[in-house]
Amino acid sequence: MAAEPRVMGLFADDAKAARAIRELAEAGFTFRRAHGPIPSDRIREAAGGRGSPVGWFTLAGGIFGFAFGFALAIFTAAQWNLIVSGKPVIAIIPFFVVGFECTILFSVLGNVVGLLVCTRLPDFRGLETHDPRCSCDRFGVLASCPAGREGELLEFFRKKGAEVRVWP
Amino acid sequence: MNRPQNAPDARPFGKAPAVFGALCLAAGAAAFAFGLGGERPGRAWQALLVNFLLWSSIAQGGVLLAALACTVRARWAHPVSGLAQAFAGFFPLSLICFFLLALGGKSVFPWVGEDLHGKEAWLNLPFLLARDGLGFLVLYGIGAAFVLQDLRLRLSAGNRGGALRRWVAGGLPTSPEESERLRRRRRLFGGLYCAAYALVLSLVGFDLVMSLDPHWYSTLFGGYHFVKAFYLGLGGLIVLAALLRGRAGGEVPAACLHDLGKLFFAFCLLWADFFYVHLMVIWYGNIPEETYYVIRRTVTPPWNALAWAVFLAAFAVPFLVLINRRVKSMPRPMFALGVLVLAGLWLEHWLLVGPAFDPEAVELPLGALEGMVCAGFLGLMVLAVSGMLRSFPELLPGARPAEP
Repeated sequence: MAAEPRVMGLFADDAKAARAIRELAEAGFTFRRAHGPIPSDRIREAAGGRGSPVGWFTLAGGIFGFAFGFALAIFTAAQWNLIVSGKPVIAIIPFFVVGFECTILFSVLGNVVGLLVCTRLPDFRGLETHDPRCSCDRFGVLASCPAGREGELLEFFRKKGAEVRVWP
Repeated sequence: MNRPQNAPDARPFGKAPAVFGALCLAAGAAAFAFGLGGERPGRAWQALLVNFLLWSSIAQGGVLLAALACTVRARWAHPVSGLAQAFAGFFPLSLICFFLLALGGKSVFPWVGEDLHGKEAWLNLPFLLARDGLGFLVLYGIGAAFVLQDLRLRLSAGNRGGALRRWVAGGLPTSPEESERLRRRRRLFGGLYCAAYALVLSLVGFDLVMSLDPHWYSTLFGGYHFVKAFYLGLGGLIVLAALLRGRAGGEVPAACLHDLGKLFFAFCLLWADFFYVHLMVIWYGNIPEETYYVIRRTVTPPWNALAWAVFLAAFAVPFLVLINRRVKSMPRPMFALGVLVLAGLWLEHWLLVGPAFDPEAVELPLGALEGMVCAGFLGLMVLAVSGMLRSFPELLPGARPAEP
């Protein structure tokens, strides 16, 4: 069975792209994916996508970092077991600094890991249907249609104010 | 009255704020008068001091957001910039309350008549009242000038209304060049307000809070005080924005409330950080002249219970709740959080001030009198802000934004 023809509409702003995504199904076409130079909540909502789960990676990293920082400070202090200026060997107030710094460090690391996992990077094959303008100033909406309706899909995107590109 | 085209409903709450404010004010004034005539008039004066500090900080911090947004040209804050300026209506009342404090004498300034070991040159009542009074005059003068320039860019020609509105409308720009001049002046006064805010509120922190324990000092206390005041200002603004939800012309966009929530979250952390840096340096130094201040307020009963309440209300709960992204754009939870932080910082003022007045306290000196005086100040704030919004409905979020 031959693959469905795919057409990409390239929009100058995300509001128009989001409107096109909402109306694609009503017109009998199938929305495939959207590309853009910046994240857009409008497009995400129109495409029925949920919020990014990257924040959970960040939170998990932060909680782990806080515990790790405290544990590291306690462990190293306990190794020397020296009383300095009458302070307890395991002292909460100064160890909070180490805990805080590790919170930030591991939050950032968790964020990067979350980004890589959620975007499935690195991707050495590259996207088959990527238009370079979507990394510059255009929002691309990729849709497919039954064979023989390419003309209607092209017309749909043009009416919405998009430039179009057909993928074989 | 001819309603200006860009002004939404001038009375989004009808007469309710005036009635509520007047009732609260009457209750507060009666409680203050009753307290002065009671067995311990000092408690009434201390309630006046604490509430003066708290409610003035809300007004000063609120206007600071508008001044900052104007100075750095932050467009996200346009919907709440006008609301923030409405807090300037409290400035004259704050000034009156400050000079009223002078009548409290030793009940407000416990170091009067004490041996201050050489600090007398700085800590004497006439000099303190003169420098702080001058500071408030400068701060409020610059704040009023900033609000005036902004209002003249918001108002439409041909407005009628009260004397204040007519006076403001008398200087509306008649040409693009005049508008440009007003915008430059607004930015200038906005920047000056930010600088004056830092300087004057540092001075107030040193003079009206830190000096109550005249032998204890911290060079960071001024910074702590003005960071807290901005945190309070943001809390007050969030409460006001949430109250206006669903009112004609008063709806703050969810995106703007979300941005305000992020700033609130940041200052929750910064306020706690300023407390922590105090704590850590004092803990490391371990000098009795410094540690007694912290120990009395965080370890010794009855104040330790208050310290935990402050920690939970002003830091732990807001911190944990504001991590969530969605909650920051939801008016009801943000209203609850704003009220919680304001209540927590009201208690924090008592925590800083109370032990200085009553070092031997066995129970917290917080009762009906303190609550009623707080209600009186709430009434004053409601009257001041609603009065500003009634006179200048262009400050409401639904009005045409002032030209950037």
